[in-house]
Amino acid sequence: MSERSLSRGARRRTWSRREFLIRGGVAGLGLTVFASCSRWLPVLPTRALPEPDEALLWVALTPLGRVRFRCPRAEMGQGIATGLAQVIAEELAVSRERIDVEFPPTDAIAPALMTVGSMSMQVFFAPVAHAAAALRETLRARAAARSGVAPAELVHREDGFDLPGGARVTFAELVTERDAVIEAAPGGESARPYALDGARRRSAIGANWAPLGAEAIVAGRETYSRDVVVPGMLYGAVARPPRPDARLLASDEAAARAVPGVTAVVVARDRRLAAVVAESPLVLPRALQALAARFDGGERISQQELDALLDVDAALARDDFEHEPASTGDVATGAREAVARLDARYDSPMTAHAALEPRAAVAEVTPSGVTVWAATQDPWLMQGLVARELGRARDEVEVRPHRIGGAFGGRALCQAALEAAWLSQSVGRPVRVQWSREDEFRHNGVGPQFSHRIRAGLGRDGRVASFDHAMISSPIIFTSAAIPGSLQPIVDLLPDDGTARGAIPPYALANHRLRYSDVRIPIVTGAWRGLGAAPNAFAVESAMDELAGLAHADPLAFRLAHVPADRPRLRAVLERVAELSRWGTARDPGVGRGVACAIYKDVTYVAVVAEVEVDPAARSFRVRRVFCAQDCGLVVSPELVRAQIEGNVVWGCGMALHEAVRAEDGAPAQTNFDAYPLLRQSETPEVEIALLEPAGVPPSGAGEAALVPTPAAIANAIHDATGQRLRRLPLRLAG
Amino acid sequence: MVELNGAIVEIPGEYAEASLLDFLREHQGLRAAKYGCGRGLCGACTVHLDGSAVRACITPVSAVEGRKVTTLEGLAAPAGASLHPVQQAWIDEAVPQCGYCQAGQIMSAVALLAERPSPSDAEIVQAMEGNLCRCGTYLRIRRAIRRVAPVRP
Repeated sequence: MSERSLSRGARRRTWSRREFLIRGGVAGLGLTVFASCSRWLPVLPTRALPEPDEALLWVALTPLGRVRFRCPRAEMGQGIATGLAQVIAEELAVSRERIDVEFPPTDAIAPALMTVGSMSMQVFFAPVAHAAAALRETLRARAAARSGVAPAELVHREDGFDLPGGARVTFAELVTERDAVIEAAPGGESARPYALDGARRRSAIGANWAPLGAEAIVAGRETYSRDVVVPGMLYGAVARPPRPDARLLASDEAAARAVPGVTAVVVARDRRLAAVVAESPLVLPRALQALAARFDGGERISQQELDALLDVDAALARDDFEHEPASTGDVATGAREAVARLDARYDSPMTAHAALEPRAAVAEVTPSGVTVWAATQDPWLMQGLVARELGRARDEVEVRPHRIGGAFGGRALCQAALEAAWLSQSVGRPVRVQWSREDEFRHNGVGPQFSHRIRAGLGRDGRVASFDHAMISSPIIFTSAAIPGSLQPIVDLLPDDGTARGAIPPYALANHRLRYSDVRIPIVTGAWRGLGAAPNAFAVESAMDELAGLAHADPLAFRLAHVPADRPRLRAVLERVAELSRWGTARDPGVGRGVACAIYKDVTYVAVVAEVEVDPAARSFRVRRVFCAQDCGLVVSPELVRAQIEGNVVWGCGMALHEAVRAEDGAPAQTNFDAYPLLRQSETPEVEIALLEPAGVPPSGAGEAALVPTPAAIANAIHDATGQRLRRLPLRLAG
Repeated sequence: MVELNGAIVEIPGEYAEASLLDFLREHQGLRAAKYGCGRGLCGACTVHLDGSAVRACITPVSAVEGRKVTTLEGLAAPAGASLHPVQQAWIDEAVPQCGYCQAGQIMSAVALLAERPSPSDAEIVQAMEGNLCRCGTYLRIRRAIRRVAPVRP
């Protein structure tokens, strides 16, 4: 038994697991139903948080007084390693240069909640602060013992402790040959973190550190999973079914084997895959062509059929919705009393992750164990999936995580790792599998399309008297990529909270109803930045703008009038963005301003004003400037939070201008950046940001929030400039 | 033969029909240039050919015979510095998020500044237009370029 597991049981737990969860605000993840049927679901995404005593092992003192941080989060550009290192620096009073961040393999730390949903800072701020504070107090005890002074008499200051009388014990001096790595002593959980002490002046928290890893990236030294080279490594390429339920009909194994340089041809009908393995990647395209794998079957759904399947008006005609997560008052009464009415339909298409790095992985399967090098939002999920794929025990598999070249919800599952493991087991050597851009578009699932109808009425008082919202989309959290077909009928009875995310307006609305259905379609739908929040806010915040118009009210004032008294932070971001954008001042001809806001996942408050310039002759528009006021609580890394907001604005502009996946023959028709354009440099607006930090509010998420209101703000600005109300994403001006 | 980051290297026969990107990554072990799309649509593979930005994924290695290729790894070397000023500016403006496209972004920016040391805003946008970034770091890229090449009065 290892030293670590021996010490685990002995440690007193002063903060319970439940407290840990509630602090992070993840208690309501809605997967409890899953947990109860986990015997039938062999491998689940990692939802658990480590026990506090396990969290203590994230931070340790190493020789020369350096601090080792085993980061329990995946780094994909959100800067979480930097932010959490700043928390550690605060607790230990060490500089950025003294902290060594590691992204540990799966067996080095306990499994930690997969890196999704803008939860890393929100959920890990306190545990990391506790872990670093525990180490500090352990070091204090050691310094005290060494110098014969009572611990309380030591003053903690930069890299060590001051002793009474002017002498000093540095952290470096505490590391000895016998004690080369110092971890927090058992019981350290009770140490009080500085970070949680609102009265204390902070130094590292709130500072602008250069992002950790930036030097390696700009120098070309960062190792992405596609850059991993293992001695003796072969290269594999896989022919995959064009539709999830298509079958492998035939393949020409002999022809593929005859291609010079091919070492193996592997066909697994049960997995519906055929693959070639070669000494050099140069051989793979020809070998795959020679293999000529043919697939058939599966639902060849067209975009037209999909539109019919997800048609909210057809569902309204049938009065048939699966879920009703909100119903206050009576929408029928409200509608009867209305003096003006809105009846509008809003649509948004399927969307692709389109991260710049197509996924790749290397696997080495040996009799004694399995090593996988992969970039994933959930290394422990991949560990379990690879173990199941190979019929090995989970602890025989080690996943070594790499920086992800963009994830956006599309990287919990790294299919390339499963393929590499399967091929390595087949050929007995390490294998790298790297997806092409076309593979990435075709085989990684999409964000689902949405259709909404909002029927709303204005009362005599100019306020919303009824708001009846119906929508149809597809599963996100309960994606077909994770839920086995046999379980889908059961799971489909449950509401998919990911699909409905953000569909309840943040306002005080009399007589409100939300009904929806999450219809499983033959194309794999799943998590995409913000899940349903941006498509849903597009509908809700467009409708609020239309209602403001019916009320002859200023759209920003109209929103403020509907902000409930218990949401002062929403009011504050709206008022701040009004100042920032000089809302209400004159604007140039052809220029419009639009506002939208959101409360993301109940914790992050954000308001956006977009300024759009329209060229009616060319039927085109340009987003000139975007103003954003965001309150995500305490800001640990201001520049990195701003960078997330800028990225979200760019993403939101891309949704407004370009992004759409269409179904063709049961698969995404768009397979590269010519058919699925991303926003470009020339289309990027100037962005002005205000961060609001109300005192005493812990950090919440910043990775997705500002995206949520951006497409709606742009549509509202186009209406302001032209009078045209565009209710379908991407936005297209009429002639 | 090709002059690669200042050294003369041979192009072996098996790579005669390969792309420059495959030659760099798989034969030379220079992995800063990235595969993003395979069709010259995203710019992640941008390197310099005789000082100009090219897409290595659609440049046949045969086309660089007898010419000079520079990759991100070779950028700082001529000056003997650990980082090229553009690389340093990328750090100072906290440009990289996921970082995957940034080798290509930096190579495009350096090629621009070699040709136009004081580019206009429009020239910056034009030169960087072919480099996609899904994280949305475009504004920081503009600022980093401006840090190296301030607007002349």
